Order: sequence, then C-alpha cells, then structure tokens
Amino acid sequence: MRWSIYIVAVLLAAALDASFGSVLAIGELRGQFLPAVVVFALLAAPRKIGVRLAMLAGLVADLLAPVVLDSQEVLVVPGPRVLAYALGALAVIQLRSLLYRQNPLAGAAATFAFSLLAAVAFVFLFSVRALFLDGGAPWWPGSGAGEVWRRFLGAVGDAVVALPTLWLLGKTRPLWAFTTATRVSPGLARQGR
Amino acid sequence: MQTPRFIRTLSGRRLDWTLAAVAFVVSMLPVSALLPWTDDLARLISVPLAPVTHFGMFLREQVRPPQAAFDPSAPETVQLEREVAQYRMLYEQSRLEVERLERSLASMRAVSARVDAPETRLIEASVIASDPSRRTGVLALNAGERHGVRAGAAALVDGDVFAGVIAPNVGSFSSSLIPANKLPSIGARIFPPEGSDPQRPASSYPGAVLKPTGRGTWTAEVATSLELAPGMVARLADDRYGRAALGSRIGVVVSVEPVEQAPLARRVEIRPVIDLDGLSSVVLAVPAEVPR
Repeated sequence: MRWSIYIVAVLLAAALDASFGSVLAIGELRGQFLPAVVVFALLAAPRKIGVRLAMLAGLVADLLAPVVLDSQEVLVVPGPRVLAYALGALAVIQLRSLLYRQNPLAGAAATFAFSLLAAVAFVFLFSVRALFLDGGAPWWPGSGAGEVWRRFLGAVGDAVVALPTLWLLGKTRPLWAFTTATRVSPGLARQGR
Repeated sequence: MQTPRFIRTLSGRRLDWTLAAVAFVVSMLPVSALLPWTDDLARLISVPLAPVTHFGMFLREQVRPPQAAFDPSAPETVQLEREVAQYRMLYEQSRLEVERLERSLASMRAVSARVDAPETRLIEASVIASDPSRRTGVLALNAGERHGVRAGAAALVDGDVFAGVIAPNVGSFSSSLIPANKLPSIGARIFPPEGSDPQRPASSYPGAVLKPTGRGTWTAEVATSLELAPGMVARLADDRYGRAALGSRIGVVVSVEPVEQAPLARRVEIRPVIDLDGLSSVVLAVPAEVPR
C-alpha cells in the first residue's frame, strides 16, 4: 500500500470535515469523511499495518480538534483519538474476514463499528483525563453521557457518509497499490489432477 | 546492509504497542506540559490545509448559503434593519458605558487620572475551519498576530452580535475563536426586544450571569421585580470582553421559570442569536490593550 496516497487522503478528508462537513449535519447527526477513509484502508491494507494507519488518522483528527480549557485557553491534546482510532481499527480488522467487501453496506457497517468503538474509547480517555488532570473535556458544558449519545448519532452519520465515500474511494483503488495475498488451500479439484 | 537492531526490535505488533503507549502517555500529560508545543504541532497540519478548508468553506456556502441570503425582504430594507440593529447596539453600548462610568466616577475623582477610551481596531477574519466533531467547537480564523489580532479580542457578527473571544494562543497567520457558549460565564443585561427606555437608567434593567447549559443555550437566575418574558434580548455587559463588544446582542430569552428556593428570582433560558455552525466570517474588535 502507498502510504503517501493514504496520508493525502487522510489530510483531505480531515480538511473537508473541518470545513464542508457541517453541510452534512442534521441536528446532532453529523457524518465525517475521515472514518470512511480509514475503514477503506483497513479493509484492503495488510492487517499488520492496520492499527498504525488508524493511529495516523487519529493524530490528524486530534490536531484539528482543540479543546477549550477552563482558563479560556485552547489546548490540542494529541493522543485520545490516536488510541480511539486504534481500538476502532482492531474491531474492523477482526470483522474483515466476516464482511463481504463488494457489498457497499458492509463498508458502512464497518465504519459504524469503527466510529462507535472509537467514540466510546475517546469519551473514556477524556473522562479519565478530566477526572485526574486539569479538566477541559471537549464536551463541556455537556455531560459525558450526552456525548456518548451524540457520538452514537455521529457514528450513524459516519456510516451514511461512508456509502458514497467508499464507492468513490473504490474508484481510486489502483492508486493505492493494495497487495492482496490469497491463501490457496488444496481442495478436491486440485488433488484430483 | 543490515537493519539497525532497534528497528528490528521495534516492528510489527511491538511497534503498535509502543505507539499506543506513547499516545496514552501524551494524552494524559497535564496542560502545562502540552501547551508549549502541541499548538505549533497542530499548525503544521492546519496551515498547509488552509487552501483546502477555504475551498470546503466555499463549497459549503454554495450548498448551504448563510441564512441572510434567504431573506425575502428587499436589499434596502435588509440594509436598513442592519443599520438599525447596529445603531441600537451603539446606543445600548453608550448607555452601559455611561452607567459603568457613573459607577466608577466617585472612586476616580480621588485619583486625578484621565480615562481615555482605547482605540479599537476592527479586523475582518474568515472562518477557515471548525471542529469537525461538534457544532459548538473552536473555530479557526485566517487572521493572526501579523494582522493585528490579539488574544481576548471580541468577535462580532452582523455588526452587533457577540460571537466569542480570541483564544490566548494566537498564531502568526491564524487564531482560534472560543465561541460564546463555551465561555464559562458572561455578564449580561436583559432588555425588552424594542430596546431600553431612554428615560430609565440602564442599571434598572435586570443583570444576569449567563452560564452555558450544554444544549447550546445559557441559563441564568435573575432577581428582579421587573416583568421577564420570552423575546427579551440579552446584551453583553461584561468588561472582560472589551468595551467594543459592550451592548452587543448575545441571545434571546426563550423561557422564564420561577425558582423554588428564591421566590424573588426567576430562571431564564437564553438562546443564542446566531448559529456559529453556519458562520463564514467575523469582525474582531481589537483594543489597544486587551482586558485580562
């Protein structure tokens, strides 16, 4: 897989999420392009680099989403989404063998699972941070439970956005240079030769 | 050529675990350890992406134009309404300023110091990015120190609507806007929708400290004998956000409820005048010396 193509796709998706993304929002249901790009790569790239792919996207997402502190300063915390995306990636990698990848709904389902797990991990990590350190949870003045519900809706939005995004990314598949190794096991037809 | 040993050791799953551990440690670092370097790191990503986010904002405005574009009124009427709103803000601003000056006049007489209103510089800044994961997150602006932006400067929209303040970490070419509903508290005064009565002192109108509710609105307990009703306008009466923003509109009262513990007080809920999600530009009022 070409990392350069992945990095460009992640940066473009993150930039579009930060600017054009609000058009895709219906109330709290807000879809993003970035999870779809990550899931696209996770479904096709070698398993061993899957977690690293997601971590890179999580780092970009962290850098573009600062938190407002009680002191009215803005803080960028690189880390929570890195871990959250890594957890989401582990789930998608496990699901990969169960999914029929040609089905567009399979990609959307994988995106939903990815976003949901990433959201839960993100809320957990920031809750821990807010509890033991100097505050500054991104959902302030809302509650953590409200944030989980909001992110559940966000995961639904991500799945909806993933449908056209994965289709579009599928058209660029030759650029990504994915290598697929298919394991061939001897069957009756082969043994009969 | 043989691969160095540490690279061979740090590969595969071990590398994933190492990266995860680093991410966990960094995400648990205190603010003082993160503040000096993470903002610069974020700018390394956000500044090169500015052309893309500009394009995204242009697309957004094409797909979902700002609300004003849908106003059925004639352009002249819209212009007049805007001017009326601006002059009303100036009027309320001057009245609040008079009230503030009257209050401090007694103590100022003792010190023969001259009070000069600081010059205010207006800077227009475009919104180049917003927090992709939430509607009320920090907004990135394409104006920074090189354009004269200072931390603490108030951001105004449509001439008389208070949108928020500039965060302390201002970059050379970009800055971050903390939305009004992310501020821990805002001092406000509640006026009737048609404006205040010139015969009455501004201090006779109820004051309130607005606290964000988490639902995109504010709440405040107001102790006053005056009638409070939905539709009343909350205007900024807080010196912390600069004199230029004084009197600007913050929100509209949407509900008034009694407070059981305090029979003379009522709890009001205030909805913001503008939706920051659809914001494309703001005007920053940068005083010569930003109040801290």
